[in-house]
This record gives sequence, C-alpha cells and structure tokens, in this order.
Amino acid sequence: MFKKSGVDPRWALVPCARSYMLARCAEREPEGRVTSVAEFFVVIIRVLTSTEVMAYVLHALKDYSGLSTLMLFLDVVGVAVSIVYVVYWFRVITGLIEVYGVRRRWMVLWIFAEYVPALIWGWSDKYQPAWKVEDIREALSRVATSGSVADTGDGLTVNLKERTVTEFFQKKILLRDIHMNIPMGHMVLLLGGSGAGKTTFLNAVNGYEKADAQVLLNSRNLYKQYKKMQYEIGFVPQQELMRGKDSVKATLMDAARLRMPFDVPASERKQRVEDVMEIFGLKPLEGTLVDKLSGGQKKRVSIAMEFISNPSLFILDEPDSGLDGVMARELMNQLRKIADTGKIVIVITHTPDRVIDLFDDVIVLAKDSARTGRLAFYGSIEKARAFFGKQSMEEIVKGINSVAEGGEGRADEFIARYAEVQHG
Amino acid sequence: MAEMKANAAGRSVRIRHRGRGSQVWIYLGKLLRMFVYQNDWKVLPMSALVAGLVGLVVRRRFFINMEGTLMGAFALTCVAIWNGCFNSIQVICRERGIIKREHRSGMHISSYVFAHMAYQALLCLMQTGVTMYVTRLTGVQYPAEGLFTSWLIVDIGISVFLISFAADMLSLLVSALARTTTTAMTIMPFVLIFQLVFSGGMLTLPAWSEIFSHFTISNYGLKVICSQADYNNRPLVTAWNTLERMRDQEVGGSFTLGQVLDLLQQTDNPAVAEIRAKQLGRVFTLGEVKEKLDGSESYARLKQKKVARRLTLGDLSRLFLNAEGTKQLRSIKVGDFSLEDLVRTLVRLPGMQKVLEIGVTPEMTVGEVLDKLQVEQLLANYSNVELGGVTTVGEAADAVAANPDTERYRDRSITVKTTVGKLLDLAGEDRVKELIQRKAAEASFNPDYENSADNIIANWICLIGFALLYVFLATVILEFIDRDKR
Repeated sequence: MFKKSGVDPRWALVPCARSYMLARCAEREPEGRVTSVAEFFVVIIRVLTSTEVMAYVLHALKDYSGLSTLMLFLDVVGVAVSIVYVVYWFRVITGLIEVYGVRRRWMVLWIFAEYVPALIWGWSDKYQPAWKVEDIREALSRVATSGSVADTGDGLTVNLKERTVTEFFQKKILLRDIHMNIPMGHMVLLLGGSGAGKTTFLNAVNGYEKADAQVLLNSRNLYKQYKKMQYEIGFVPQQELMRGKDSVKATLMDAARLRMPFDVPASERKQRVEDVMEIFGLKPLEGTLVDKLSGGQKKRVSIAMEFISNPSLFILDEPDSGLDGVMARELMNQLRKIADTGKIVIVITHTPDRVIDLFDDVIVLAKDSARTGRLAFYGSIEKARAFFGKQSMEEIVKGINSVAEGGEGRADEFIARYAEVQHG
Repeated sequence: MAEMKANAAGRSVRIRHRGRGSQVWIYLGKLLRMFVYQNDWKVLPMSALVAGLVGLVVRRRFFINMEGTLMGAFALTCVAIWNGCFNSIQVICRERGIIKREHRSGMHISSYVFAHMAYQALLCLMQTGVTMYVTRLTGVQYPAEGLFTSWLIVDIGISVFLISFAADMLSLLVSALARTTTTAMTIMPFVLIFQLVFSGGMLTLPAWSEIFSHFTISNYGLKVICSQADYNNRPLVTAWNTLERMRDQEVGGSFTLGQVLDLLQQTDNPAVAEIRAKQLGRVFTLGEVKEKLDGSESYARLKQKKVARRLTLGDLSRLFLNAEGTKQLRSIKVGDFSLEDLVRTLVRLPGMQKVLEIGVTPEMTVGEVLDKLQVEQLLANYSNVELGGVTTVGEAADAVAANPDTERYRDRSITVKTTVGKLLDLAGEDRVKELIQRKAAEASFNPDYENSADNIIANWICLIGFALLYVFLATVILEFIDRDKR
C-alpha cells in the first residue's frame, strides 16, 4: 500500500510511524499525527505495566508501596489515550476507504484485522489509491525559481526567500521566492486562490510573523526595526476584531492612545479621533456600542482604528467582505484617497473586478504543485491582463487555480514564466 | 517605545509611544467599561448566591467545633476558588484575535496581562466583600477578634481574597493556554477537581499523592482559614456524638476469671494501673456493724434459722452402731456378748420404740446461740472499736491470683450484657464526654492549622506567590510560546 501511495515501504516496519504514514496515504495527515502519538503512548504504557518490567521494578525497588497506585494511574491514562487512538484510527480508515474508493464494509476488517485488508489492497492491482503522497523535494525542484529585486529607496521592497513552519517534525514551505518593489502612493490588489498564502504573505510583509526575508519600507529594514516601525503599518484583519461592548468613540480613543506617539497632546489626539470619525462617517455613531453596528459600519471602525496612526503602509485583508456593491465601492474609494496621500495600500478582495479601476497594481499569488504559495505576477493591471491573457481578475484566479478547485491548473506555468520575465 | 524622526529643521527627534506602564491604564479603563457593558458585574450577585448557600449549610458549626470549622473553612475555600476560577477563565481566549491585532499595533503583552491582573484583583476584592457580608447575614458567627485586625471577619476576608485571586490567576493562565473558550471550559473542571481533591484537608490522601497538595491553592487556603478559625482549640464532637447515638445499643460479652486476673496483672498498662490503684472497702466500727445488722432483714431471717436439732436415743444408738469411730467400743465384750450385740438386742425389744424416741439434747436457733454467747451485747459494748482496712483493686487481685485454690476457678466464664447508655451512666456521662472530646481533639491536632501570625503570614505569602507565578506563566505563554501562532 505504501508503495502504491508513493511512501517508502520500509516505514511499514516502524511501529507508530506506520500509522502516521498510513494516514498520509489516506490524505489524513493531521489525524495521523494524533494516531501515531497516541499509539506511542499506548505502547509505552503497555511496556511499563507489563509483567516483565514490573518484576524488574519490584526487584530493584526497596520500597514499592506506591507502585500499585502508579500502575493503576498509568492504566487509567492508557484507557483515555486508547479511546483517542481508536477515534483517530477510525478517521484514518475512513480516509483510506475514500482514497481507495471501496465500500464502507471494509471498515470492519480494518478494525478487527488490519493486516488482512492492508495486504489485499497492497497486492491486488484491483485496488488503486486516488491520491498519492507527493515527494516535496521533487516538486520543489520542478518549480524552482530564484532572484531578488533591488531597493529603489522609495516604497516597499520585499525579497522573501521562504516562509516555513514545522509541524510534527516536518518542515512545510508556505511561501517561496516572492520579490517585488511597490512604490509609495500605489494601491495594490492582492489576488490568489484559496490557500495560496495571501494572509501569510501579508503577515510576513508587516513583520508580525517573520519569514526568511528582507522587507524594506523606504529603505528601512522592517524586520530589524520592527518595534520602531510597527506604528507605520496599519493592518486591518479580515474579521472585525474589536470589543463589541465598547462604544465607537472609546474604541477609537484607545486605538489612538495605543498607536499615536506618547507626546502627542490629549487635545490633538482627540482632534485626530474626531477627524478620523469624520473621514469614515462614524461621527453619528460615536456613542453606539460596536456590537450594535452593521457589518459595513464595523468595517469602517476597524479600518479607522488602524488609520488613526496615519500609517505609511496600509494593509487590508478582505475589507469588503459582507458589504454590498455600493458600500464596497464607497469603501474602496476611501482607500484610494488614502493611497493618493502618498501611502501604500495593499488590499485582498474576492470581488476585485467591480473596483479594479481604483487599483494601480496587482500581486498574484498562486499555489504551485508543491502546494507552496508563489508569486505568479506583480505589475500594473494592464500588464497583468496581457501576461495572463485574461480580461478580468476573476479569470486570472481561475487560470491559476487547480483543476480540483475548478480552475485551469496553470499555476506552475505562470510562476515559471513570471520568474523568467522578472529575473531573465 | 521610541524611534528617530527628522523634524522641520532637519534634526532628529525622538518619537516615543506608550510604554508598558502607560498601556496598563488604557486596558484597565477598557476592562472597567467592560465591567458595566459586558456583564462582568454579574459575578457579584452570583458570588452572593453561592456564599448564601454555603453560609446556610455551615453557619451552625463554623467556629464551634473542629468538624464544623474544617467544613466551614473548606466551604469558604471552595467558594473563593469557584469565584476566582470563573472570573477569568474566558477573558483571554475569547479575545485571542483582538490580542493578536492589538499586539501587532504595539500592545505589550505584559501590560495587557497586568491590566487583567489589576482588574481581576478588584473583582475578587468586591466578591470577597459580598461573600463575607452574605455569610455573616446567613448566620455564620465570626469570633470577635483576629490576629491582625480587630475583626476576625476582616482577617478571614483577606485570606478569602488571596485564595480567590490566586485561583483567578490560575484560570487566567488556563485562558492563556487554551485556544478557544470551549477548550478552556473543558479544562476548568479538571482544575477544580484537582484543587478540591488535593486540598489535603477534607479527603484523606494516600501517602504518594500528598505531594500534589503542595501545589494546590486550596491546600494553603484551607490551612490559613483553619488557622485563623483556631481549629486546634475547638472540641472534636464526632466521637462523642457517635457514642451518644449508640446509647441504646446493647454491648456485652463473655470472659473467664483467668482473663480478668491476667488483665489486672498488667501493671505496665496505664489504664490497668489506674484501675489497680482504686481503693476497695474502708475502715468501720463495731457500732456501724451492729446498726447494719439490726436494720438488715437477712440478719433477722438468719437469727430464726435453727442451728441444732433435737437428738433422740434412737439417733444415738444408730450413731453407735454405724459410726466408724465406735468400732472398737462396739467390740468390747460384756460376758459372752459384745456391746454391739447387746445394743442391737435392746433396740429390737418390743416397746423400745417409745424409749428410743426420747430426746437427749435441746433444739436451738442462731439467735438463741448468739444470745447465749452475748454477741449483740458485746457489739454494743465495743461499738467504737474500728475494724477492717483500706485495700486496692490491685492488692485484692494479687491476693486472689496468689491463692492456689483460684486455679480451679480460672476457666469459670462470666457473661456481661448491658447497653452503651448504662455504661455511660455508670462511668458518668459528663466525665466521659469531656474526656472523649479532649482526647479526640488532641488526636486531631494539626500543626498546619496553628493559630499563629507566622503560620498565617506564611500561607498568605504562598497564595501571593502562586498568583504571581501564574501571572508570570500567562505572560510568558502569550509573549513567547504562542508567538508565531498568535
């Protein structure tokens, strides 16, 4: 079975790791982690409470009065862990049945005699998995790119080699080889299919979740001077992350106290809050609790909170989600005005075409065949249309999305082409 | 927080943002607004209800006896832990996203946690006030004076506040650890159970698990409240109450005289020594003896008893013919006949029957004998003469045991059957009650509950230490461990 799924068959001989690998074959990797860890603990507890170990311990210990209690405790823990193991093993089996496209009655055999179905599915050509564990190194080498962009001294320069996380002893590359230079005063659209790493990219750009990268804002290294520069970046998250039981004015006043310089006089701070409320049309709502606001009003409060410190780099993660066309357009107009004051505004939106005329540039992130977020394009809207041969942004997204997601599955092609265009 | 920026004249000026101390006030203000708008105030009436329920249960025995004091202290500790735990179990995990956003905008985690710490301290203080007031209202009689203040209720209030605050900080830590409110609320029962089981006072723990009680807030809470309530100087009533309930129970058993004598020979046994020392009998005069005899019905009956019956010639002749001692006499020859033949012939003669019935001695009663001997006259004449002596149970037992004849009676069984009530009456109920309560209290003495300022302060310091440790861990978890995921 392992061979069929592209896993080294020798793993079948390693206890605990075997169940993890089987879970990977079943496209149930997270469940596999829990299963193998639970199995490991069950094995350890069984060994510790085995007659042979007990005999040895009793022989070695002079005072073993508390040993029986400890054994009972281990047994109780063993029961609890076994329940976890059974539940997660059940999920893994379900995944295997789905991947092999067989009837659910196989589950009985898997539960009571796992070696029998494993051997049958492994030997017989009749049973073939619909999904294979991909060799990540092979996939990475297949879509390898490199290069960097030079700092122009003005605007945002991003040279991101990779952004990784380590989960269950495995390094996962979330983003790779993203290089760009965004001039000040530009309003940039960040485009990409689901799972392409848009939010991860923004978190890396604003320095909150650092990547193996160099991010320069007006030639100043954001990563090295994060504590000083964090006030120059406004990040508006996708959800309205505000305390609902606070009034609009109190929320903005606290935001001003937190984000504005300490030596700004209180009167000036209050004036700034008044001005921002005026800009975002929140003045009539100043005494209203945030919980009582509509979706659009909450979005405006959320944006106003970040705008209060007058940041140079303004990043918004889906600010128009939940808003109707008119309100979304109005909001984007406000963002355009902010960009026109010489700031960089980066926006993620899933309905880009209705406001595309307001944007200067577009960043297209795509998930390559190694499931890593990559830069498929950065440039003006017109160039993007020409590069992808598509007229609308939605068509571009469809072009880079995988076939399974209803797209054309051309991500690797565009990534390679753009790398060639960008770095020669 | 500072950065350099060029001013209008082209010179660098330092831009400072709010530091940790200043940020605390922002969050404290925010939390105080939340107290009103986010229904945090509801914890106050809830604590009143919980305290009321507990107060109604413990009011009659708290500060009265050991059991009631321990139960009351445990109940107060539970109330404090309950209040503290549920104050902050959700405060961090429910706004994880907001924390992430604000941290991105320059919020210091330490300021955020410290603001929570200050706010929760205020909340715990208010809850403690409500709890102490309500318990008093329900009838818990707090003794007048404490070790630190003029009111014990204030002293205990300080302890309740510290327990509540430490528990509050513990749940703040759980809230920092848990990703969601559901996870936090799942962990919470385990935390509470751990605190209650390993409080070290109410449940007797096996030796191996006692170490866990060193890590529970409840353990120190129970110790400090028991100390303040002067647990060690209260009577323990359970043993006596149990005995009281057994008044009608029948008790008894069989034992041999030998067992009794052997028991009384155990001179090294303090209980036996006490019995052995008890005095038996007393000195009395002959006059008292006469008085007793005169007033005694059994003595009157004894005096009527006949001590000598009338003897006849027939009796004498039968005695002569049958007694072993007259054998030689009977063989004396008188002519051709022995005396025996002669007497046998005589008693068989016709008409001798009447002769043989002739009495030869008078009939007498005990009274007549005593009169003849003038015993009562003698008693009257020598009425001031003292008789008898003081002896102890031990001496009497030793004498009986030393008597060789006693050996024959050692296996003789004695059966006693009575009720607990009768035994108590026999021994003196008040004496037994006082003794049992005193001895039981001595046996239940707990040095951890010593009513001293040092002991109380030590426990307070432990509770404060726990609270600070939990706050520190919560800050570390939010600041470092959770950094990438936040």
